[in-house]
This record gives sequence, structure tokens and C-alpha cells, in this order.
Amino acid sequence: MTSKSILSLLALGLLALAGAACHNQSYAADDKSKIHVGIVFDIGGKDDRSFNAAAWAGVKCAESGKWPNGEPCGKAALNIVLRDIEPGNPTSIEPAMRAFAERGYDLIIGVGFAQAPIMEMVAKDYPNIHFAIVDGISELPNVASLIFKEHEGSYLVGMLAAETSKSGTIGFLGGMDIGLIHRFEKGYEEGAKSVNPNIRIIQNYVGVTDGAWNNPGKGKELSLAQIGKGADVIFTAAGNSGLGAFDAVEQAGKVNGRATHFVIGVDSNQNMVKPGFVLTSMVKRVDNAVYSIVEDVVNKKFQAGFHVYGLDKDGVGYSMDQFNKDLITPEMIKSAEEAKRKIIAGEIKVTDAMLK
Amino acid sequence: MKDLFTIALFWSTIRTATPLLLAAMGGLFSERSGVINIALEGMMLAGAFTAAAVTYAAGNPFAGLAAGMAAGLLIAAIHAVVSIRYRADQVVTGTAINILMFGMPAFLSGAFFLSSGSTPQIPREHLVPWLPIVIAFGLVPTIWYVLYKTPFGLRLRSVGENPEAADAAGVPVARMRYAGVLLSGVLAGLGGAYLSIGQSSLFTRNMTSGRGFIALAALIFGKWRPVQTMLACLLFGFTEAVSYQMQGVFKFSGEDIPVQFIQMVPYVLTIIVLAGFIGHSRPPRALGMPYQKER
Repeated sequence: MTSKSILSLLALGLLALAGAACHNQSYAADDKSKIHVGIVFDIGGKDDRSFNAAAWAGVKCAESGKWPNGEPCGKAALNIVLRDIEPGNPTSIEPAMRAFAERGYDLIIGVGFAQAPIMEMVAKDYPNIHFAIVDGISELPNVASLIFKEHEGSYLVGMLAAETSKSGTIGFLGGMDIGLIHRFEKGYEEGAKSVNPNIRIIQNYVGVTDGAWNNPGKGKELSLAQIGKGADVIFTAAGNSGLGAFDAVEQAGKVNGRATHFVIGVDSNQNMVKPGFVLTSMVKRVDNAVYSIVEDVVNKKFQAGFHVYGLDKDGVGYSMDQFNKDLITPEMIKSAEEAKRKIIAGEIKVTDAMLK
Repeated sequence: MKDLFTIALFWSTIRTATPLLLAAMGGLFSERSGVINIALEGMMLAGAFTAAAVTYAAGNPFAGLAAGMAAGLLIAAIHAVVSIRYRADQVVTGTAINILMFGMPAFLSGAFFLSSGSTPQIPREHLVPWLPIVIAFGLVPTIWYVLYKTPFGLRLRSVGENPEAADAAGVPVARMRYAGVLLSGVLAGLGGAYLSIGQSSLFTRNMTSGRGFIALAALIFGKWRPVQTMLACLLFGFTEAVSYQMQGVFKFSGEDIPVQFIQMVPYVLTIIVLAGFIGHSRPPRALGMPYQKER
């Protein structure tokens, strides 16, 4: 090997180190009298304005009593030390979790279904540390599984979509083609069909790898294709890629001050992303779930097993605020609330696509 | 099938092919001068992030486009100095740049926007959906002319084929290679800028999702020639656009065609075309070989 290629390999190594250094926060300042919480995000990163952002909001609220934007979150700060890691690729998830575990953190939160098998491996090695996985399931005695009945919330936004659609065609834009996202789609479809049995639903998925969450260009192209086929409401469950659908409906424009095509946001309340074009958002209160698991650890009441958040616990729902109050009529709200009541009472059974 | 081949499909093809075309044309300049450019992906990411950040801050997409090209140029300058001046392995340097540019936007967006790898969304009136497309397709005949009909093009090709002979004839090898690599950075940066402020309205981490490598494939597929490379980019864009249109709509004996199958189509088609039509694709002879002047 020539000295030149050794030199360039060395440079490569240094660059990789420089990349890793971005996440290397100072642990020296940790106060051991406090509860330590480490959170490992999904590939989308904490600024996806959606799923990861909701988890981030939950832990920030627990740390400081404030949302990440500095506004009070309406809950008490819990006197914890919070550290977060955004893995750049799937292989850095396990070392990230182990880094927290090695430092004796009290609670390690993994965000996203893909982390469940990794968390199981790590949790087995550290039986005295509490773990929580969002969207994934594990039956280990020290892992809490925070799961959501996305199909129930999607059912309600499916109703709202069908009531809004003039064309009789609506769209669904999923991120990665996996069971969890099919759960959104199936609920949406059933909700829409409960309003209009003949409604046509076009469904697309951005991809089959984790890159599918970070491809807004492709999300927009798929949405434009759906609009071209007549869809006038599009429900996205695609992380950052879903933001492409927001651009697509905005591009379709407005007639007499009202948008001709609408998008339905997901996970976080996305109504303010493109005001007037966002019909509503299927909110998944990952923030509440994450906050309460932190609270449980602080109060020494941590329980492993399944923590299920459905319509009954307001774990999922549709968002209403000043940005969409003119788009959704009181009658629509009435029918959605009626359906919500029936779902909670068990009178309407929404199919859970993951149980098939 | 009739409603598949629509005007919408045409424009979708063009939009999908544009970032590939810009990056591939960049790669063409670099590789015809003899420098492997695996860093197209990183240059696109640099262009995409810088264009979105500057457009958001300045409220002017033209400033954003210029900044995106400048960012690509800057990254290309690193590649050029390391691989031409210091004669390092061009693949290793390119890979290092890609890794660096994967992390850099996350780092910078944290400093500027208190975010970790994305920029705020840019209002629609500050986007440039058409200009980069016009530039991309307008450039192809220009590049063809420059490459084959001007002294500059002849010299660029000669240092990529036989730098010793070019040097003996008085062509400044290093200078030509610098020009090739720097031009590739400008074009790849523009391709990235189109992704963030043309096609989308923000930068998200790693948003190129491999388009730099697909552009490289199109370049090889197009035998390192401008017109063929454009056709390759259009083919890649077309199959991608067809998969957008087909997904979730076309039924095969009552069943949905699985999304995985549709997403396979572009690559299967590529393999078929590669095997059948190309036969023999010859790279510039001195590609990847650093040149050291004999003393």
C-alpha cells in the first residue's frame, strides 16, 4: 500500500470520527441523583415534523415542562437528565442503546418499530435498566411496549376524507411498505367506506427501505400521480416523504379561496404546515405515551408489557385548531365523534391490519 | 394501460430525470478528464442543503441556486485537490466526501435552524420548479458541443485518455482535471438544489437517497457520452415515473401488483438494457489513475 492511500484512508477515518463527534455530548456534567433518560430516534430524525418529533416533544416536556419550541406543555417538569441520539443509519442504533446502558441510564427509549429486535438484544444484557419501545413489541420483563391503535384514528380521518371528497376518489401515501403502515391504510379505508361504500382509494408506498421516510421528492411525485387520477384528499403516513404530499396539494391551488385538494397529516399535528390545505391530522400522541413512561420511572412505578393507546385514552385522534376550523363542518365533527364513541364502546370494529 | 401513458407521465419523467441528468453531466466532465467521481451524491447533498438554507434565509431562490452550485464547487475542490494535487485514491476520497456530507447538513442545520438535518419549509413562491429543468436539458447540446467541437473539450478528453501524450503535446494535465472536477461539482450542486428548492420545498437528511449513484450508473450506461447519458437518465426517470403511476392502481387478475415488484421494474429494465444494447461500455482509459509528471 502506498503512503498516499494510507494517508487517504487515515483522512477517511478522521472524517468518520468527525461525524460521530456531532453526537458526543458531555456526560461529565451528569448529576447522578437525577433519573437519566436516553432516547434513540428512528432514521427520520427528531425533526421529521411527525412521528419522531412527537417523541421528542414528549421527552422535552418531561425534562423541562416545555415543548421543543419553548412553549409550556402543560405538564410538570420531572427533574431528569435527558440525552438523545439520532442514528445516521440502522447499524448505529445498537451501539447507541448500549452506550446509554453502559453509563447506567435509568430508562432507554427506542423510537420506531425497527428498533424492537435490537432493543431485545440490549435489554437482555441489562436486566436492571428500564427500556421502552415506541411502536414495537417485546415481552421481556424490563421492556415496556408503547403501542397505538392507529387504525382507530385513521378510521375517523377516513370518514372526514370521504365526507370532504367531491370526486369520490381519495389517496393514501405510506412511507415504508410494512405492517404498521398498512394499519393506518386499512383503518382509513374502512372509515372512508363507512361514509361512501363506493369510494375509490389509491394507495402508494414510497419504498421498502428506511430511505422511504426521507424522500419528499418521490412523495410529491406519487401524490401528483394520485391527484392526476382524481384523488382530492390524500392521507400521508410517510415521515418526511409525506411533506411532498403537502407541496403537491398546494400546487393544485385554490378556487374561490378554498383549496381544491387536501392532505391529512400524521402523528404530530401538521395542520399549520400548509394552512388551508391540511384537512386535519391523524395525531398519535407519542408525546403523552413517552411522558407517562418517563413519569412512571421517576415515580418508581415502571411496568413492563403492553401500554396500548387507543381512542379511549386519547392516544390517537384527529386534530382540530384554528387552521382547519373552516374546512370541517360541525356535522362532520358530529359524525366523527359518534363513530369515536361507537369504536370505544366496541359497536364498530376497526380491522387491525397487523393482526391478520 | 391507455390511461398510463399520459401527459402527466411525461412531466413526471422529466422531473424525475432532471436531478439525475444534472449530476450525470457533472460526472461526465470529471470522468472524461480521468477523475472518478463517486462523490456526486455528496456534492448533490451539499447543493441541496445549501440551496434550501440560503433560499430560506434570503427569500430568493436564485441566490439559493447560486449558493447550491457554489457548495458543490467547494466540495469538488476538496476532491480535486486531494485526488489531483496529492494523487490520493479517487474512490476512497469520494467515499469520504459522501460520508462527510451525510453528517454535515445535520451539523449545520443544528447551528442555523435548531434542527437536526432538515431546513424549515420554503414558501411556494420562493421555489424554482422550472429553471433547473430548462438548464439541465439545455446543457446537453452545449456540453456535447464543448466536449467534441472545442479545444477545451479535446484537451479534457485527451487528459482522460492518455495524459502522458497530452502532457507531451503541451496540455496542462492537472489544470484540465481541476476544470473537469470543479465543473462536476457545480452541476451536481445544481442537481441537488433542484431536489430541495425545485421538486420539494425543504431539505431533509439524506434526501438524495442514492440519486448521485444512479446518475453515475446512467453515465456508465450512457458510455460517458452526453446524449446517450441524457437518454439513460430519461430511461431511469421514465421507469421510475411509470412505477409512480402504476403503483396501487393496476390490477393483475384482480390482485394489486405488489409495490416491491413495481419498484423493481427500473432496475430489471436497466439490467436488460445493459445486457442487450450496450455490450461493451469503455471508460476513459486513464480513469482513476493519478498523473505524475515525469521528472
